[in-house]
This record gives sequence, structure tokens and C-alpha cells, in this order.
Amino acid sequence: MLNRLKAIKIGENIKLHIIKTDKFKTNLVSVYLKRPLIKEEVTKNALLSMVLPRGTKNYTNSMAISKKLEELYGAFLGSDVAKKGERNIIQFRMQLINDQYVKDQNLLAKGMEILNEYINDPYIINGFFKKDYVDQEKENLIERIVGRKNDKMKYAYDRCIEEMCKDESFSLYQYGNIEDLKNITNQSLYEHYKNIIHTSPIDICVVGNFDENEIEELVSQKLKFKQEDVVSIGREKIEYIPESIKKIEEEMDIRQGKLNLGYRTNIPFESKRYYALLVYSNILGGGPNSKLFKNVREKESLCYYIFSRIEKFKSLMMIGSGIEFSNYDKAVSLIEKEINEMNHGSFSEEDIESAKNSIITSIRGMTDSPYMLADFYYSQAISDSDETLETMIENIRKVNKEQIIEAGENICLDTIYFLRNKREDR
Amino acid sequence: MTVKTIESKSLKEKMILKELPNGLKIFFMPKEGYTKQYAIFATRYGSNDSEFIIPGENQATKVTDGIAHFLEHKLFEEPEGSIFDKFSELGSNVNAYTNFTSTCYLFSSTDRFYENLELLINFVQSPYFTDENVEKEKGIIGQEIRMYEDNPNWKVFFNGLKAMYHNYPVKIDIAGTVQSISKITKEDLYKCYNTFYDPSNMIVFIVGDIKQDKVFSIIERLQKKESKTEKDIERIYPEEPDTIVQNIIEEKLDVAIPLFNIAFKDIDNNLSPKELLQKDIATKIILDMLFGKSSDLYMSLYEEGLINDTFENEYTGEIDYGYSMLGGESKSPKKVLERVLAHIDKLKGTGLNEKDFERIKKKHIGQHISYYNSVEFIATTFVAYYFKGINIFDYVEALKNIEFEAVQKRFREHFNRERCVLSIISPKSFEQNE
Repeated sequence: MLNRLKAIKIGENIKLHIIKTDKFKTNLVSVYLKRPLIKEEVTKNALLSMVLPRGTKNYTNSMAISKKLEELYGAFLGSDVAKKGERNIIQFRMQLINDQYVKDQNLLAKGMEILNEYINDPYIINGFFKKDYVDQEKENLIERIVGRKNDKMKYAYDRCIEEMCKDESFSLYQYGNIEDLKNITNQSLYEHYKNIIHTSPIDICVVGNFDENEIEELVSQKLKFKQEDVVSIGREKIEYIPESIKKIEEEMDIRQGKLNLGYRTNIPFESKRYYALLVYSNILGGGPNSKLFKNVREKESLCYYIFSRIEKFKSLMMIGSGIEFSNYDKAVSLIEKEINEMNHGSFSEEDIESAKNSIITSIRGMTDSPYMLADFYYSQAISDSDETLETMIENIRKVNKEQIIEAGENICLDTIYFLRNKREDR
Repeated sequence: MTVKTIESKSLKEKMILKELPNGLKIFFMPKEGYTKQYAIFATRYGSNDSEFIIPGENQATKVTDGIAHFLEHKLFEEPEGSIFDKFSELGSNVNAYTNFTSTCYLFSSTDRFYENLELLINFVQSPYFTDENVEKEKGIIGQEIRMYEDNPNWKVFFNGLKAMYHNYPVKIDIAGTVQSISKITKEDLYKCYNTFYDPSNMIVFIVGDIKQDKVFSIIERLQKKESKTEKDIERIYPEEPDTIVQNIIEEKLDVAIPLFNIAFKDIDNNLSPKELLQKDIATKIILDMLFGKSSDLYMSLYEEGLINDTFENEYTGEIDYGYSMLGGESKSPKKVLERVLAHIDKLKGTGLNEKDFERIKKKHIGQHISYYNSVEFIATTFVAYYFKGINIFDYVEALKNIEFEAVQKRFREHFNRERCVLSIISPKSFEQNE
């Protein structure tokens, strides 16, 4: 299916994952730094991902970088932060067109040089990041944090998790918070960067058409990291039995209510039972054939969208939907009814088959996108799994009805979050 | 019946076209090594087609807003229930979308492609509307409309169109309103279906690592109509003045920071496909030269905190309308507008920079080729351009051949402050610091 080589150690805590395929027009290099998801770091890491694009040693502002990337046939170079369970990932990405489509040699090597400069040689003045850049990006980060309420669907989803995991670091927003941002200076941010660049486990994924040996050499030659005292990041706690169901309502001036339900599944991703959980969630709310779609949308006309999904690393199951405000009680009880029926085994062999096929299709589909491939192999790497796509698919195939019902036994409703309109009567 | 192969050396891709006796055109693009297969069955019928003469009739028919989109929803209904179940059994993802100019039904699969294809071709050709299932859909689409009402990006975009267009239906929301859809009946749906879902008004596009002969023979076998309709559909679009409706349109929503869109309205419409493609490319290059990340303007607005990295630009060039749009979040959209207009005035004096042009052109070539990584991109873009008379394979060649002079000319004509509108979505409790 794909020629994937074993991860190669190119430094004490640096791993290179080479995914060779000739079907893409581009080559992609993704560099991931792994950090613990903690309040002391999350805001700084987010700010860093915004300050680094502002300048490097040789390209001292973002305009100069952009011009250089345009010269390289519109190469993409960027950084961002993500959370994978209670890990905070800082990622750098470079994508370039493959040489064979343009009259330009060694595009990949040229790109790799800039990527290295971007990561290892940021623009430094008087020993630290440029103060103006940091101050401007602090403003931009404030806008990003407050601006997240513009996307109501995503906002409600995130807020449900925040309320649910209040006392766990999983509740931290990946772009941090405004209070902590205030205290960050260009000096403290640079000190932090020097620290994390030396102490983070690093993974590099390369996807594209190249000679494997050449690429290994190119990466070790062009991307240079010096590491010491690398941090170890533990596994998050995932087992919780909620004492009571938290009910949270938040008001906004909106036309449609956003209902989100957060469940503890108590099933770790390392377990074989995890595959049964994936199938469970898919039968419940994975697509247009799911119980929620059929019964809440098609039969009752209550909503346009309704879904169920699994937060892999933290073992949560999240249900989300957009409904009329007055239908809150009805929607909650319909969703609970569907869960209850799932747990009593009222789903058919065809439902199981459809859900399995749909999960397998999306696993297979990932192999057609360089970004998704890189992310998939990185997720595998940080979960210490050497399962291939094929063995994952086999494991999905093996799931049976009893296992799905058993997965359901562990699932407990923890939080119901409702984003609603402002009430007139208060 | 003709079979034609179209090749692109620049893209290292090829495509096979077959036209059936009933007028249906099938395009197949082999993509070796790809796991996914993707198929679109599309009709040239979008929300803009609200008035038309049905072939064989003399009088014009005017339909209610949102009907093309409503019809898209209802085609998934079969006498025995929803077609979703059948696709789900096969593990594929079926979906559809309606825009201003087309309605597209699609699926992606990684297995059992030919069975999926049969389902797609069959269900799009089998309408089944009842009073009851039409009524039920009104609640669902009502919630879809509500969802968009809370979406500030959608609102800022549509308000911009409303400020630009006096009469052209592009100013009307694709899904209509809760009120307009309440009037839709099954008879209305059949009327639109019979008019626009005619093979001669439709295409099928398929991409993946699959067998050409099998693809063509399946589609041919499943045709419900054998020969071509004599007369074309006559679409009636209202007269649209060159002027805009209003310079500024503002609405308050529950958002944190204002969102804005600056748009320039096209007046040189109804060009030949070749000219349309040239205009499309030239405008996109200019937008990047003027407002892209490597531009002086972007840099200074960014450093002054007037824009952030949400600032983007795009050009839409349809046969009989078009516009450029740029926007994002800003504390002071009006200041951004002033600066944009001043920048344009300045460049009209000095002329554009040819080095910038060459560099941006390189960028567009690389990016366009890289889009061919994605089967979804290839299929949806192919359909959109095809309905404008353009073969998407011609894009990269036209891009390589475009000359600086053409770009200069387009710049002088299109970026006119008389045809510029500003759309703002501002927070409910927000004093603008103008």
C-alpha cells in the first residue's frame, strides 16, 4: 500500500519518519515538538508559533520570508500549535512542489534550509526576539482567543470540554489565555524557546517522492537540533466516573442553540476495546446512516447537523448538534434514548457493517493526503504504536456486537453544555 | 458518440471525455496509486436560476428562493427511505452541495467503486417527492438557515453581495429564507427537476485508480433518457446596472472583533471562455501583488495592527457576474478600506511592479499544480470551471502564458472605487475606534 520505513533515530530524541510515495505533486516536511500540556507553557507555545513566522536571521521580516517562498514556486511554510490529549504539540510545516514539475533543481534542499532557519535561527535583536514582533503578536493572540466565539459550533464544542475537564489540563485551550499572555516579554519568550528547542522530543515526518537514503542525509544535514535533558511526558488520566451530570448554560445573542454532550468512555486508546468504541460512536452519530441522524434529524426534523466523535487521547465521546432553543429538553432526551438503546443492543449487523466500512474508508482515505499521512504517523509515534493502517483495519473488522455493547457499558454522561439565546425574562 | 483524450504535460495528468447520445458528458481522470475514488454528478442549476422558460413552453416560470437547494436535499429521498443507507452499507461518504450556478451530488469511496457509482447515477435520476417528505424537510433546512445566520463569515460575505447587486439573484441566500421555503410544494420541485436535471444540462466527473471502460459502460447502461432534448433551457436573469447599491453595509452580531469584506464589482461580463479564464488568472495575480503577504500594504497594515493573519483575498469570475473580495478581522475596517483605496490610487500612478508579477506568477504555478494532490479539489474545480466553458487543464498553460501588460490593463479597469463596497459585521457592544 505504502512504502513506510521504520522510524530512524537521527539524534538522541529525534526520530525521522520517511513515507515514500510517488503519487503526490509535492514534498512535505513536518517537524513536531512535543511538550506537556500545562498552564505554564500553553500560552507561550501558542505565542511562539506566531512570533517565529515574523522573521529569521537572513529574512528579517515576514515580507522577506513570503517573497522567498514565492520564489520557490509558492512553497508553504508555517507553524501552529495543537493539543493531542494532554500533550501540547508545536508543529512546523514546509510543503514544496516536486522538482519534476518545474524548471528548478533542488527545491527540497532549498526549502529545508529555510525551514531550518525558521526553527533554529529566528530573528534575534539585542539577544532576544524583536520586541515589536512579540508585542504585535500578543495583540493578535488576544484577538484569536476572544475571536474564537465567532465560530459558534467550534466554540460550544470546546467549551463543553473545558467545563467537563475543569480540573484536568485537557481543559486548556490550545491558544492559551489572556492573563498569562500579559506577563510574557520578548525576553521571557526567547528564554522559553531556547529551553523547549533543547528539551522537547522531536519527530520529523517527510512525505513525498525522493530517494530514502538521500532524504535521510538531507534531513540530518539541514535540520540541526542540539538536545539535552529531554522532558518525558506521561500518559493522561482517562478513567473517571462522574458523580453527577454537570449542566452548563451560556448565553449569546444567537439564532440557533448549540447543544453539546460530553461523555467519559473510560476506554484507553491502547486497548483493543478502543476499536469497539470507535464503531459504537460511528453507529450512534458517525454519518447520515447513524442513529442520531436518522432519528433526531430525519424523523423529528430537529436539526441540520448532529454528530458523535471520539477524542482519542483523552477517551471522551462528544455529541454536538444545532437546535431550536425550545427543543433543548426534547433533543437531550432523544439523544439519551438513542444511547440507551445502543447499550441494550438495539442495532443490527448491517449497522455494524456500515460503521466499520465508514471508519475503514476514512482510515484508507488518509493515504491520499500528505498532511493527513504525516499526522497519522506522528499520532502513532506519540502513542507508541507501531500498528500499520492495515492492522488497524483488521482490528476494526474483528469488532463484534458483544464488544460494542461492552464498550457502551463504560460510557458515562458527564456534562451537558448548551449555548443559547439571551433570556428576556431575567 | 465521441471519446476524446485530453492531456496536460505540465500537470502530468490526463482525462478521457465521452459524450452520450442524450447529451450527458462524462469525464474520467485516472489517478494511479490513489486509494480514494471520487465521483460527481452535477447539473448546471444553481440558486441564480430562479426564472426560466421551460423547453416547449412560451411563458417564463418564476420560482421561490431556495428551491434549487431544497431540491438537492430531497433527491436523497427514495420510496423505501433514504439513499444514505445504501451508500453507508458500502462504506462510502455521499454528499451534495448547491451554489449559485450548480448543484453537485458526490461520493468518495475506497472500495466497491462501481456499486457506488450505480447508486449515484440512479438516485440523481429518480426523484421522489411527497407532500409529507417535503413538509418534513422544512424543519431541517430551517435549522440549516439558522446555522448560517449565526455564522459571521457567511453574513459578511452575503451582505457584501447585497451591497453590490441591485437585481442579480446572487444577492439572495442560496438556501432562501424560512419564509420562502415554507411555500415550496412537491409540484414546484418536479417542475425544476424536469427542467434542469436533463442529461444535456449535466456532467459526470470521475477520478481515481479505476477502469475506464467499466466506468463508461455503467453510466451508459443506467441512462433513463436516450436522446437529446431539442430545445435548450432559456435562463432569464434581470438587468444589472454597472453601479453598486451602497458603499457600506453594516450589521451587528454577537462576535468578538469586527469582520469585514471589501469587494470590487465586475462590469465586463459575458466574455468568451478564453477571455474569462484570462481575466480570472490576471485578477488573482493582481490581488496577491496588491494585498498578499509579500505586499507592502499587507506588511504595513499588519504591523500597525489593522489586520491579522485572517486577511485574505479571492476572485470569483462567473459568466455574467464577478467580483474581487478581500477581508478578515480588523479593529477598524474603515481605516483598512481607506488604505486599500489609497494604495490602488498610488499604483495607478506608478504602475505595477513587473518583478512582483513574475514572482507571484511562479507562486501561482506551483500552487495550482500542488492542488492536483487532492481528488476532491480536482473534481469540484473541474465542474465549476466546466460550467463556465473552461477546461481546468487549460488553467496552468494560460497561467504560464499570461503577460504583464494584460495584468496592468485588468488592474486599471477592475479596481475602481466607484464599484467598491465595504461590508462590516461588528460586535453588538463595540465602539469603533475610527
